[in-house]
Amino acid sequence: MKIRPLTSFAESSVPAPTAADWLVGAALLVVAPLIRELPFWVSGGYIAAVAWRFLHTHWHWPQPGRWLRWVLAVTAVIAVQRYFGTLLGREPGVSLLVLLTGLKLLELRSLRDAALAAMLLLLIILGTFLYDNSLLLGLYTLAGVVAVTAAFVRLQQPALAPVAVARLAAVLVAQALPLMLVAYLLFPRLPDAVWALQTSEATGIMGMPDEMRPGNISALNTSDEPAFRAYFEKSVPPNSELYWRVRVFWDSDGRAWQEGPTFTSPSVLRAPQNSVSYRVVVEPNDKPWLPVLDLPLGAPSTVQVRAGFIYEAPRLRRERQTYDFVSYTRYRTGALDGIERRRALALPVSISERVRRLAGTWRAGSRNDADIVRSALAHFNTESFVYTLTPPRLGRDPVDEFLFETRRGYCEHYAAAFVTLMRATGVPARVVVGYQGGIYNPAGNYLIVRQSDAHAWAEVWLNEVGWARVDPTAAVAPSRIEYGIDGMRRLNSQGLPLNAAADAVLRAIQLPWLDRTWLRTRLAWDYVNFSWYLWVGDYTLERQAQFLARIGLTDWSVPAMVAILVQLVLLYALLQLRRRRPRDAVLHLYEKYCRKLARAGIARADAEGPVALSVRARTERQDWAAVIDEITSLYVALRYGRAAGAAELRSFARAVRAFRPRA
Amino acid sequence: MLREASLSLFRFVARRRAPVTASDTHVHLVLERRSLYILPTREGLYYGAMLGVMLVAAVNYSNGLAYALAFLLAAIAVVAILHTHRNVSRLRLSAGPAPSVFAGAFATFTVIAHNDGDLVRRAVEVSAAGQTRRFDVPARGTTAIDLATPTTRRGYLAAPPMTFRTRFPLGLWRAWSRSLVLPMRCLVYPRPASPQPLPETPGMLTGPEASRSTESEDFAGLREYRQGDPAQRVAWKKVAAGHGWHTKEFVAPAGQIVWLEWNRLPLVGDEGRLSLLCRWVLMAEQQGIAYGMSLPGFTVAPDIGESHRDRCLERLALYEPPP
Repeated sequence: MKIRPLTSFAESSVPAPTAADWLVGAALLVVAPLIRELPFWVSGGYIAAVAWRFLHTHWHWPQPGRWLRWVLAVTAVIAVQRYFGTLLGREPGVSLLVLLTGLKLLELRSLRDAALAAMLLLLIILGTFLYDNSLLLGLYTLAGVVAVTAAFVRLQQPALAPVAVARLAAVLVAQALPLMLVAYLLFPRLPDAVWALQTSEATGIMGMPDEMRPGNISALNTSDEPAFRAYFEKSVPPNSELYWRVRVFWDSDGRAWQEGPTFTSPSVLRAPQNSVSYRVVVEPNDKPWLPVLDLPLGAPSTVQVRAGFIYEAPRLRRERQTYDFVSYTRYRTGALDGIERRRALALPVSISERVRRLAGTWRAGSRNDADIVRSALAHFNTESFVYTLTPPRLGRDPVDEFLFETRRGYCEHYAAAFVTLMRATGVPARVVVGYQGGIYNPAGNYLIVRQSDAHAWAEVWLNEVGWARVDPTAAVAPSRIEYGIDGMRRLNSQGLPLNAAADAVLRAIQLPWLDRTWLRTRLAWDYVNFSWYLWVGDYTLERQAQFLARIGLTDWSVPAMVAILVQLVLLYALLQLRRRRPRDAVLHLYEKYCRKLARAGIARADAEGPVALSVRARTERQDWAAVIDEITSLYVALRYGRAAGAAELRSFARAVRAFRPRA
Repeated sequence: MLREASLSLFRFVARRRAPVTASDTHVHLVLERRSLYILPTREGLYYGAMLGVMLVAAVNYSNGLAYALAFLLAAIAVVAILHTHRNVSRLRLSAGPAPSVFAGAFATFTVIAHNDGDLVRRAVEVSAAGQTRRFDVPARGTTAIDLATPTTRRGYLAAPPMTFRTRFPLGLWRAWSRSLVLPMRCLVYPRPASPQPLPETPGMLTGPEASRSTESEDFAGLREYRQGDPAQRVAWKKVAAGHGWHTKEFVAPAGQIVWLEWNRLPLVGDEGRLSLLCRWVLMAEQQGIAYGMSLPGFTVAPDIGESHRDRCLERLALYEPPP
């Protein structure tokens, strides 16, 4: 009789209602993170399809026929095309995937249909990663993967209890995790995106503004969004040295300060001292500028350096970027060239007479430029200037108004006024904006610099030293530089003046226990997320090479890596198989007994039966005769008898354990 | 050289394709690694394609989580290979009963699957002779599977080659065994011919009296009950009184014996004669008429009862015309 391989049950039968329910549950689970991202009609259509599937399973609603499904599929494609104007890209692609998955859920006529629907659910999980790469999403989707795996199991064995299905799925995923980890770390990464298909849009993160106007730096001081994080090779420099320059503004119309026309000028450091090596990881941003510590020397090849020690990424990347820089906190810069001098002395036409007069008095009373700077700082310090987080709005000539009327300002007011006054006295000066300070995260040993750390200061050109940093804010409120913006905010919230004495500030910024714990928790969470980013978001070719070098795989190539990967997979498979092999407990225990006997000088001869061995052992070791007899009789009963069971095995184990002929 | 290699390959394939048979000393067959294969199912191939799509997406978007997802799903597939293989590996099979049937009916072979491991075997399928059964085997337990096979001819019917396979747990892989033949056979009796009146033997009563059955026999005594004795012959009073099981024996009067004789049958060919004899055996047994049978080469003495019937039917099933 000819036996033909048959179509198995699995290929022909209709998925059981219980299995369909698991698919429905998994379908809702995987789409949840996308609901907010997709147009409402896409999410709605999908949910409607899932609900229809549920009603069909339980209340025998009719399934849509083949024609209706085709019509719906074509409608979905047209609708997505009309809504987005294209079928390519992230949003239209994911929308289409979600809609067609919904349709597939309405067509579960065979187990194969159901398996395909489950695979589409896995692709939806992939779709969610195009929107978010966070740790929480990763953990959440792990549950989604378990649910889809459980649906697969349920399709194969609908009669299995739900708990057993869930456990089996969890076991499968857990056993797969180590393998995944190895593959993830070792799989060769490509240098960059294959087709350089950039799809992520600007996320609207407010960063450093294009220009400095009164009030637009202080607008940032409530935003706790991180701007970047910095790792220091050695210790973190003191807060007063943490001036992160981002932009240099040369031109002003009296109100706004701007960079003005770009020009090139060599950024030369003379006699640099106190080198600081650090790595900055810049948050996604809609600007190409990179923060560097005052003052950087040299640059990675991927960075452009512009006049005024301004570093810039060559092209806009809407994702985190990592750069390694070296800066020197003590330095002198090179000579001032003609164009720099002209730009650094240009005064806005609208400068007021009062401002010119004030500048004139300083010029007259000073022997050199450094004296003028000291006079100016003394003026800010001794006159009744106030540093405030909420400066009053200023009119047409903000410098004049601020200097002589309101006298309340944030860093940009002081920087603008100071640079204007310096130029009026004939000292070359420019405005620098960037960040000052940052929160140290002890959990991960890095500094978090937030938008609220935004700061503006000035640089003046002095004959002996070149460009020198002058922070007029420090003259008014030294604690801003000493304790950072958080100290200022705490003083402000307690109604204290921001230029209070140092001990008062220290007392005020001492956080209560609960706040300290909260801060520590937040920092730890930031660290966990940031590590996640380093290993998931930023696990690029370079980082992989670094990691491989650290574990000792320096000279590697793609085939070698693949070979290692395959070997590890095989090894893992072997280990899995070995662990499952049932062991003969009785034999194992008896061998242990024989080893003990051998150590006591009674080695078992080849082909010596257990009874013969026991006779020999008993005559030599009469003190253990009873135990030897017990072990032998139990062994014979367990090995060859029929009635021996678990109780005998237990007493056998006990007797072997108790047998200590050597002691 | 090439020819030799291809020949040896061919021989190897042929050897592998031949069914595994149990030897006489080992009536158990174990699904060893050597007799098991594993390959992806069609869903498994789709799954592989989906992994490819995921990997391309991960590379294209340089998306760490997408890489992780693709590798996790690939690893799940790898782990599933082990689970699927383990689901049938070391499954021990032995032959169960295969009760005799008449030709044309379905023979039922009972295969017993033993699970010596601590893991439940789930959703294992066995195919034989055009049908598939699905079963689970509990940990350290057994499951009996009935396989029905159509019969056409009398004689011994060997169990058909069986293939075991499973797609559990994910349906991405199919593990299957080489075809196995268990040492079990089913005795197939000849197909009973359409009812015809019992032959007239000298001294046999025909007509209405023949069907009046046992009352016309003379009670001869009691003997020990034997398996297969008809229920109406059991001495129920004795059983009820607690004296054990006895069967009433009758000596049928000369007229109550029918001889089913090969040589007196119409010439309808060997198989036709066997069919008719088979039918008569059944009729005589049903009517309670003791019957003897004589075929070329042997004779069965007249008697009645299930064991006698089975003996006669076996003779008929295994009849071989003398050379």
